[in-house]
Amino acid sequence: MFVPDLYGLRERFDNEKILLCFNGPISRSLIEEIGNALRNYLKSEQASPASAIDVFAVYIELTQNIRHYAMKAELSGADTATVVVSFHEGHYHISAGNVVHLADGEALLANVQGLAHMDKVELKKLYKQQLRKPRDEDAVSGAGLGLIDIARKATAPMVPALKDLENGTGYFSLSVQI
Amino acid sequence: MNDLKIVSTQSTPLIETDSSRGVIYMEGDSYPENSFEFYTDLVNWVSAYLNDSQRPLVLELALLYLNTSSIKVMMDIFDELEEAHQGGRDITVNWRYDVDNERVAELAEEFKEDCSFAFNIIGQE
Repeated sequence: MFVPDLYGLRERFDNEKILLCFNGPISRSLIEEIGNALRNYLKSEQASPASAIDVFAVYIELTQNIRHYAMKAELSGADTATVVVSFHEGHYHISAGNVVHLADGEALLANVQGLAHMDKVELKKLYKQQLRKPRDEDAVSGAGLGLIDIARKATAPMVPALKDLENGTGYFSLSVQI
Repeated sequence: MNDLKIVSTQSTPLIETDSSRGVIYMEGDSYPENSFEFYTDLVNWVSAYLNDSQRPLVLELALLYLNTSSIKVMMDIFDELEEAHQGGRDITVNWRYDVDNERVAELAEEFKEDCSFAFNIIGQE
């Protein structure tokens, strides 16, 4: 039988200062439960209420974006999310990724790169503009505000990545520092 | 008119309305996956209340964390209140927060920026 190298996995988690990691199909209830675990962890680590709320907010926007994308993308495996929260050099880092249509990934990459270079004043202006836009009738959520909100909370430019999986799809991920 | 009494869940706030007193009370976190669906009853209640009479409306809020789609819905509600206020309606928002959590005050402040009715952000020890 196959025996996973749990100690090796644990060592990697410890070395990378990973507090929380999830990989698998993400559901609404899992987002809530993992979010709850994250909040309890932040509380026990005595993170300030402001950073606890920021970390939680980024986690929620990233994972709900994946859920909304998976529901409309009609792409097998798009709902399998990888989520990592770690703590390095005084900052929390939240990363999440999933499989996307390559063209969607490219558009997202350009969008995130654009946001990552805007300052807080420009981001606030864009956020308010987006808030005022009438929402599409059939859009269940995706208020279009999530990425801008994440960019506003980030304490360093967000880092997106897109790995071409060479079958018309790609693995998109986004890392955010709080 | 029918009042709302929606109990809170982990990801949705408590919502209660009192049409006889003209009060909406909301408390807790709001990060449902589909905020537009969740808030349909409240949005409809607000429209009905505003159409029904010229009486004042007070929002007593103790909201903590809102995901962006909840923020979008709340902004839509505040816009409707703003329109009613421009038409002469007495509208008040009282948003209470724990002084240790400045993020809640900042969130409330960004809504307040776009409203000309009485919008009180009240820090509590």
